[in-house]
Amino acid sequence: MSNQRFPTVKIRELKNDYCKFELRDTDASIANALRRVMIAEVPTVAIDLVEIEVNSSVLNDEFIAHRLGLIPLTSERAMSMRFSRDCDACDGDGQCDYCSVEFHLRAKCIGDQTLDVTSRELISSDATVVPVDSADSGYDNLENRGIIIVKLRRGQELRLRAIARKGIGKDHAKWSPAATVTFMYEPDIYINEDMMEKLSLEKKLEIIESSPTKVFGIDENTGRFIVVDPEAYTYDDEVLKKCEALDMPGLIEIRPKEDTFIFTVESTGAIKASQLVLNAIDILKQKLDVVRLSEDTVEADDQFGELGAHMRGG
Amino acid sequence: MGSSEIKEIPKAMKYPHRAMEKDYSAFEELFQHLIDSFDYMVEEGLKTMVDMLKPIQQFVVVIQPQKERLTRSMKEALYPYECRQAKIPYTGMFTMEVVFQYDDGVAIREKINFGQFPVMLKSKLCNLRGASSNKLVSLKEEPSEMGGYFILNGLERVTRLLILPKRNYPMSMVRNSFRDRRDGYTDKAVVIRCVRVDQSAVSVKLYYLNNGSARLGFWIQGREYLLPVGIILKALIDASDHEIYVSLTCSYDDNLERVKGSVGTKLVGERAKIILDEVQNLSLFTHTQCLRHIGQHFKPIMTGLEDESFTSVAEAILKEYIFVHLDNNHDKFNLLIFMLQKLFSLVDQTSMPDNPDSLQNQEVLLPGHLITIYLKEKLQDWLFKVKRLLQDEIRNGKKFDLINLADVKKVIDKSSPKQISLAIENMLKTGTLVTQTGLDLQQRAGMTVLAERLNFLRYLSHFRAVHRGTSFAGLRTTSVRKLLPESWGFLCPVHTPDGEPCGLLNHMSSSCRITSYYSPNGNIRDFQKYRTSILSELVRVGMTPSLPKLVQAGPPKVLTVMLDGRVVGTIPSDIVESAVSYLRTLKLSAKPFFPKDLEVGYVPLSMCGAYPGLYLFTSPSRFVRPVRNISVPAGKGNNIELIGPFEQVYMEISCPDGGDGGRKDMFPATHEEIHPTGILSVVANLTPWSDHNQSPRNMYQCQMGKQTMGFPSQALHYRADQKLYHLQTPQTPIVRTKAYEKYNIDDFPLGTNAIVAVLAYSGYDMEDAMVLNKSSVDRGMFHGHIYMTETIDLAERSRFSASSSRVFRRRNDNSYQNDLIDSDGLPYVGQKINPGEEFCSIYDESNNQFSGNKLKSSEAAVVDYVAVDVKGKQNLQKVNVCFRRPRNPVIGDKFSSRHGQKGVCSQLWPDIDMPYSGITGMRPDLIINPHAFPSRMTIGMLLESIAAKGGALHGNFVDATPFASSVKNASDGQGSTSSSVVDELGPLLTHYGFNHHGTEVLYSGVYGTELTCEIFIGPVYYQRLRHMVLDKFQVRSTGPVDKVTRQPIKGRKRGGGVRFGEMERDSLLAHGAAYLLHDRLHTSSDYHIADVCSMCGSVLTTSVIQSQPLALPRNDRYGLPPRRMPKKVTCVACKTSKGMETVAMPYVFRYLAAELAAMNIKITLQLSDGTGAGA
Repeated sequence: MSNQRFPTVKIRELKNDYCKFELRDTDASIANALRRVMIAEVPTVAIDLVEIEVNSSVLNDEFIAHRLGLIPLTSERAMSMRFSRDCDACDGDGQCDYCSVEFHLRAKCIGDQTLDVTSRELISSDATVVPVDSADSGYDNLENRGIIIVKLRRGQELRLRAIARKGIGKDHAKWSPAATVTFMYEPDIYINEDMMEKLSLEKKLEIIESSPTKVFGIDENTGRFIVVDPEAYTYDDEVLKKCEALDMPGLIEIRPKEDTFIFTVESTGAIKASQLVLNAIDILKQKLDVVRLSEDTVEADDQFGELGAHMRGG
Repeated sequence: MGSSEIKEIPKAMKYPHRAMEKDYSAFEELFQHLIDSFDYMVEEGLKTMVDMLKPIQQFVVVIQPQKERLTRSMKEALYPYECRQAKIPYTGMFTMEVVFQYDDGVAIREKINFGQFPVMLKSKLCNLRGASSNKLVSLKEEPSEMGGYFILNGLERVTRLLILPKRNYPMSMVRNSFRDRRDGYTDKAVVIRCVRVDQSAVSVKLYYLNNGSARLGFWIQGREYLLPVGIILKALIDASDHEIYVSLTCSYDDNLERVKGSVGTKLVGERAKIILDEVQNLSLFTHTQCLRHIGQHFKPIMTGLEDESFTSVAEAILKEYIFVHLDNNHDKFNLLIFMLQKLFSLVDQTSMPDNPDSLQNQEVLLPGHLITIYLKEKLQDWLFKVKRLLQDEIRNGKKFDLINLADVKKVIDKSSPKQISLAIENMLKTGTLVTQTGLDLQQRAGMTVLAERLNFLRYLSHFRAVHRGTSFAGLRTTSVRKLLPESWGFLCPVHTPDGEPCGLLNHMSSSCRITSYYSPNGNIRDFQKYRTSILSELVRVGMTPSLPKLVQAGPPKVLTVMLDGRVVGTIPSDIVESAVSYLRTLKLSAKPFFPKDLEVGYVPLSMCGAYPGLYLFTSPSRFVRPVRNISVPAGKGNNIELIGPFEQVYMEISCPDGGDGGRKDMFPATHEEIHPTGILSVVANLTPWSDHNQSPRNMYQCQMGKQTMGFPSQALHYRADQKLYHLQTPQTPIVRTKAYEKYNIDDFPLGTNAIVAVLAYSGYDMEDAMVLNKSSVDRGMFHGHIYMTETIDLAERSRFSASSSRVFRRRNDNSYQNDLIDSDGLPYVGQKINPGEEFCSIYDESNNQFSGNKLKSSEAAVVDYVAVDVKGKQNLQKVNVCFRRPRNPVIGDKFSSRHGQKGVCSQLWPDIDMPYSGITGMRPDLIINPHAFPSRMTIGMLLESIAAKGGALHGNFVDATPFASSVKNASDGQGSTSSSVVDELGPLLTHYGFNHHGTEVLYSGVYGTELTCEIFIGPVYYQRLRHMVLDKFQVRSTGPVDKVTRQPIKGRKRGGGVRFGEMERDSLLAHGAAYLLHDRLHTSSDYHIADVCSMCGSVLTTSVIQSQPLALPRNDRYGLPPRRMPKKVTCVACKTSKGMETVAMPYVFRYLAAELAAMNIKITLQLSDGTGAGA
């Protein structure tokens, strides 16, 4: 094809749970597909089945089960795991290493102090799938590291067995590896220098102030009106409105670049942000393969009869 | 603008909800009126009441409501939570010492047990009284438990606060019904509701007659007796005709006619003559003659006075039925004269009638008072009964001796004294009064209501609600429902339900209180002392006391001074204003024996306005509210004055929101509202920026706030309510009013801060539908539960036998139930029970059979807890099983913001398809349609969104108290520089890089492209309402049918269908949808194939002939059932089966034929095979 494009990715920032990169030379459809897959279709492992043995805490069983489900588990293995429903080795009861990981939790408060039962007390049967340790995300003191599941008073006890399974965010938000994935269009800012020349410094400062984010500024050396940080622009049009209010439409023009996207990816910790992006691309490819390699597309259309013919354009 | 304005927030302000020690005093005050009235009843009221009983036998009372367990001999305190769980009443023992004396013989004292008396929670008799929050928690109560209600059968019931006419104040009224009393009556009367010290009331009406005279009407045992007023005047005191004439005509002065404030006219003198002539025409001239006349007429109906003289009967009439709040005949005479003058002035139109629907002339019925008067009547009845029994016994029995206690007791037991407490209990349980006299109340039913703990606001509102009376609900006129300016500050203008009880069921404003028998320091007030001290102050100021001389002057020269319905004197009208302000300063001063809540009702002289006078009230059960007296310089002692609705009308109170209130310089304000929010009820006070909303929206919020699924109770596991809604993850609102913290609503939160985007997206948000983000719901937003408790009482069903033969026991066989049921016959805690499964196992020893209770509902439930009553003697008999049903949001559930903006969830939309912010990546939790705003004008909601966004970014709570800006402007001294709230909130948003107006650029979640306009998005506190589809949906394909008509039954519970009614039928007819019509009304309804005899045309005479079981060989080879013979039908009338045909028809048609046959009407069908149908 003649108008084939070769998208490029430029990574700007990379941390374990944070990633910022540019995606160039592609369409919003691709960018958005990537975003959607990252949020909803990259598999992770999360607790899905809870068997409660003893629960004398103040929270009811469903509540605790729900809370357990939302605890992010390290899911590097998730891509290679099987979905429980597709697993041949077991019938999904959690006795199978291919599709599930078993957890145990035993906690009882003996002292007078309130006992915080945290995700750190979940004992995994698989060393690769454990609750996310938020050690590296700003909590330096040890006690704060786990995610609190329930608080126990003297004599209260919680004993349970939980089975974690592979799943995707589409089914339940607990399987979503992404805290936030978003992209913005890179703005193309054009300043009409001739018109700007005519403005007084006060007016210039007014324009700078009008933007809620710091997009524009005055060059300290030259005193010229410059763009400080184009990406801080939120497309809020405040500056443009200001220009119009100053009776100078066209002083500044801002247009989004249709083919450049700046992605921000934040991971829950289940998988590394970089891995999240790579997995998403893999899954996107797989999905395309399904369409491309599907031999029975024609057959399937036959099944639909008239509707199929219609779909084929007949 | 800019960073300088954003201040650092102190930690305490950041986490006000984490305050360690909570202050519940403001909250406590909301319930005080109920508890005070009950306390007084227990401490003093009952004694006073018993003292006032007609002395059949001398009486001393001792009430000792001690709680003790019936089952144990050892006395141990009974606690409310036990009563709730065991479904028993919370009561104490009620004993009295009765003294018997016969003909001056020896008096015997005997303590008699009058049964178990219901005890109000947190009253002086309650075991929770004075308990600290920690203690309350250890007793399985809320830390903020305030009491004020009774527990009966485990249910919490509150007495309704009913509006009553103001006590001891003569009200002039115009009513057409007065004309129907008898011939010659006009529609005008002066009515006074007199209340004794024991709270029992007797109303007296003074009717005006066409001939110029007046009649006094009073009720004895359900009948109204009308007496010429002259007779009463003369019977009351020994006054000469001249004296009466002068007293009556003192309100008229020749020179002052038509002067402002003059109430009398020339006609008064003539009327006085008519009144006196009437008496003379009956040839009654003296005081004693009048008394004898009255006595003669009333002797037959006065029980217990058969042997007395006529004069003493008459005196009893005057004492018991006329102006019962006064005990001096001179006072009664003066009051009657005053009432006559007021009546004449009403007739002459020199004064206006009083409005009985206005709060000015109203007070409230308190639980303690209600119980006292009800108990009084019950005791009186009982005494009569016992007396009669004793007398019978003395007359008949030879051996009976009154000195012998055992004999007396035996007689008393015939009329069980325990019935008395039971009657009280039943009254509180059902809310109905069983009484002959009616207790001078307007209604006999609906005195108590169940305090539902649906959520906290609902619960709280029950204690603050004031009802106008059920008799008004059926009234066609709407005038009683009107919001009158007189109720300003006392009743909330916003918090009333719409629909049937609109305007009849009001709620007290948050600052409104009700006067009680207790002074602020907790002592019982001595009203006698109060009155004497008020009197002496009045005399000091310049009042001429009425005693010992008769009052002989009238307006406009002097004004009558009335103190609690007693004419105490007159005060010259030129000094009355200074006297009033002097009284007001005395109210503020901490003078002993001067009530702080004295109502100084000064009705000034006017041209044909309300009847002038100075009316003072010290009585309990009046509404009062605090306002600031600005005549007292600030900082110099107390300047908070308690005012009542009667005096408020004539006071000048400025409100910060109202400027000068149009009073200009003519009438300078003497008082000032403390805060404009004082006029709102507690619930209405919780609506943020309600001053920016259209007023009906605030009303809706008051209603919806009360049906929110929230956090009803902190002691959830110790309650056995039938149904409790519970929100799993509630939050504290970011935007809240001052009242929120004042009343510690954080103890019972009722919503979630949801990120709300206002845009039309996906089309699923049309017409007040809203789209929820599925991921948010997955993460726990609006998750909730319903807790339902079922009580199983084995003893209940086997009431006939002394000991129950039924016990809880598990079946021995290994049936499937054993999975669900523990060895004690009860379900495991945490066990999931499916519909129709048995959750407990009961063994009946008498017939060796097991039975069990099945789970009734159509959805599965989890056993939350099982509570057992272990107090029983041997076997476990009573069990509460609490079921928990998860109620997570589904399509069709209802949600609402705090601004009357309700909506139904139409989709759980995938997170990835929701619009998102390009900068933060934020997706909204829910989407509402912008069309929800223009017509509803709930600007408060928009402000809340902006403010909450700023608050969330900054990390603090935002104060959204209504009228805050007007208060600020008023204190600044200039009202012009009002800046809008948005201008205050905007800079915070810009500081954090957001748009000033709370909008953001969002991108389509489906396409990844920018949405064409900026979207208003921010956190709004959303409530989940209790209306959920899971409780409401109704579907059926086939199911139970009505026995008679064979049509589907109605009712969701029974598996019935939705009615396809006439209008639905009409629309199908209009569309010509014949097939569908046939399907709905016939095929899917009562389709029936009837045998019809074509010869006689009858559907009823056909009969199936029982065919012989045929001796055909069974088709055993193929394993098929034996072949059925064709049904043989015959017509009984024609005695042949020749003409039998089958016809499809609705079964009701057959039924109709049968019904008509019963009336001797025959239906004949003419059958044709359709070929000739066209002909």
